[in-house]
Amino acid sequence: MAVLDLQNTGKAFGAVWAVEDVSFTVAKGEIVALLGPSGCGKTTTLRLIAGFETPDRGRIFMNGADVALKRPYERNIGLVFQDYALFPHMTVAENIAFGMKHRGVKRSEIPARTAEVLERVKLPGLENRRPSQLSGGQQQRVALARALVTQPDVMLLDEPLSNLDAKLRHHLRLELRQILAGAGCTSIIVTHDQSEAMSLADRIILMNAGRIEQIDTPAGLYARPRTRFSADFIGQANWFDGVMHGGRVASKAGAIAVPAASGGFGEGAPVSVCVRPERITVLAGGHDAAPYATCIAGRLEAVEHLGSDLSLWVRIATGELVQAVVKNAGAAPPDPGSGVTLAFGPEDCILLPAKDTSA
Amino acid sequence: MSKRLADGLFTALYIGLIAGAALFLLIPVVVSLILSFDARSFIGPFPPKDFSLRWYREFFNDSYYHAGLMTSLYIATVATLVSTVTGALAAIALDRLQFRGRDILQALFLSPLIIPSVIIGFSVLIFAARLGIIDGMPRLLMGHILITFPYVLRATLATLKGIKPSYYEAALSLGATPAQALWHVILPLARTGILAGAIFAFIISFDEVGVSLFLSDSFSYTLPVALLAQMHANLNLTVAAVSVLFILVTMVLIWILDRVAGLDKVVGTGVYGR
Repeated sequence: MAVLDLQNTGKAFGAVWAVEDVSFTVAKGEIVALLGPSGCGKTTTLRLIAGFETPDRGRIFMNGADVALKRPYERNIGLVFQDYALFPHMTVAENIAFGMKHRGVKRSEIPARTAEVLERVKLPGLENRRPSQLSGGQQQRVALARALVTQPDVMLLDEPLSNLDAKLRHHLRLELRQILAGAGCTSIIVTHDQSEAMSLADRIILMNAGRIEQIDTPAGLYARPRTRFSADFIGQANWFDGVMHGGRVASKAGAIAVPAASGGFGEGAPVSVCVRPERITVLAGGHDAAPYATCIAGRLEAVEHLGSDLSLWVRIATGELVQAVVKNAGAAPPDPGSGVTLAFGPEDCILLPAKDTSA
Repeated sequence: MSKRLADGLFTALYIGLIAGAALFLLIPVVVSLILSFDARSFIGPFPPKDFSLRWYREFFNDSYYHAGLMTSLYIATVATLVSTVTGALAAIALDRLQFRGRDILQALFLSPLIIPSVIIGFSVLIFAARLGIIDGMPRLLMGHILITFPYVLRATLATLKGIKPSYYEAALSLGATPAQALWHVILPLARTGILAGAIFAFIISFDEVGVSLFLSDSFSYTLPVALLAQMHANLNLTVAAVSVLFILVTMVLIWILDRVAGLDKVVGTGVYGR
């Protein structure tokens, strides 16, 4: 049985539906990311689950019980705030004990459980520090420990890593996942950072304008976006618009071979083809492109060094810029200004309905 | 005129203006400080030639002043206690709850700050009479609670504004009821603001004249009222001695206030904040 089940949940502020119609379930022990641009309703969804907001429509079930009208303290949730919200007038131990006291844990058990949870978040022995004496990363872990220690049915994390600097953020990402998975905690992580969602979550719920755009595993969402919004939000995308013609897509840039299996589009149907930058091979101009099904000629406009990768920006005949990403394996890229050929196969293409028909 | 010269002139003018203002405020204080130690039995030309503590002795031996001092301390203490509890609670309600007329209610609560004390004094006098309260003491208490309440309210509100809403929500998410969250998290965090408001309330009550004038009677009067009456009846330098004591008490309280919370919490930080 699902630990959490939202059914057509919606919340309006005045005349605006911040969350319009959201339905999803989360299984026990699963880590799910609520991903989307700012204003998409992901934070409101989190606040609905936490009980800080009451839904205007739909229902919210936790372990089978309808909690939509329950107050936050009547739900067994854990919450890690973006700013951590550690009580500044309490020590680390007092912060961690706060939830246990209010959730009826026996007083005699509290010290042992505090030590145990600090061990789990790799901060043993810091019981008597004040939050102001901790680094950002340590505060984040104490906030996590404080929420974990009451063994919540659902753990909610609001942009848990966004207040940390880039290096620490990448480091803590893996650790956060290990801690959550190790505790067997059913978790929902709200984030606007797609790479954070990809690396932390078992499943991603992609939201847009108060609705769910797509729910899939990180790999599935990347490989099989169902809408143009999904394809654009997760990773980078080059777009070629055209119509179906003889099993290929006739676009302004030329004929593009697409996977035969991506049916559903009849002859003459308007479509958009998405090609990820790393799936495009850049060949020197005039190169024999025989093994590739699709070749588009262009001129290399700029080379961006991204460290491990090189990003090549190519202007094609239609005037559009196409991005290709290649490994920085030591070979010098073509000179900017030189003619190149962009090559890819049908399996590198994602076929979606054309822009104007996909709302 | 060169830019440098203009700058120099401006700076000199600016410093002169500030110095002038400071002297204007300080000279009367210094004069009464010196006069309070005057050994002469009459008010003679300044400066005095001999010094003594006779006016301080006079003050402490005078039962009229003594009663005024006791009343002032009693009124200030009780008014501060009542204002602190009600003011802090009102501030929490105004800060946490969203309801219609919230801004109007807040303006109403703060209005004793801008309403002239003559009007407050007269209103409380009439109101108390209507309620059948004819004793000076309860009347004085009513008036002083009214004028000290907004100071506690404002100081607490300012502190509450600086408390992130996520603290309260974190407490709720950890199983605390709203009342428990307020008691264990919000109140301790607002402590300095409430304390600052309380000290300021005490100072305001202790120094207050206008409202007390209306509400005092011949049995219950505050020290400033006693002082004023004595100045009219038989002017001598006890007034100067009392003034010095007043300044001392207020200075000590202001110093404590600044140590506890920082003065800017109570008197504000101007248009730009900090």
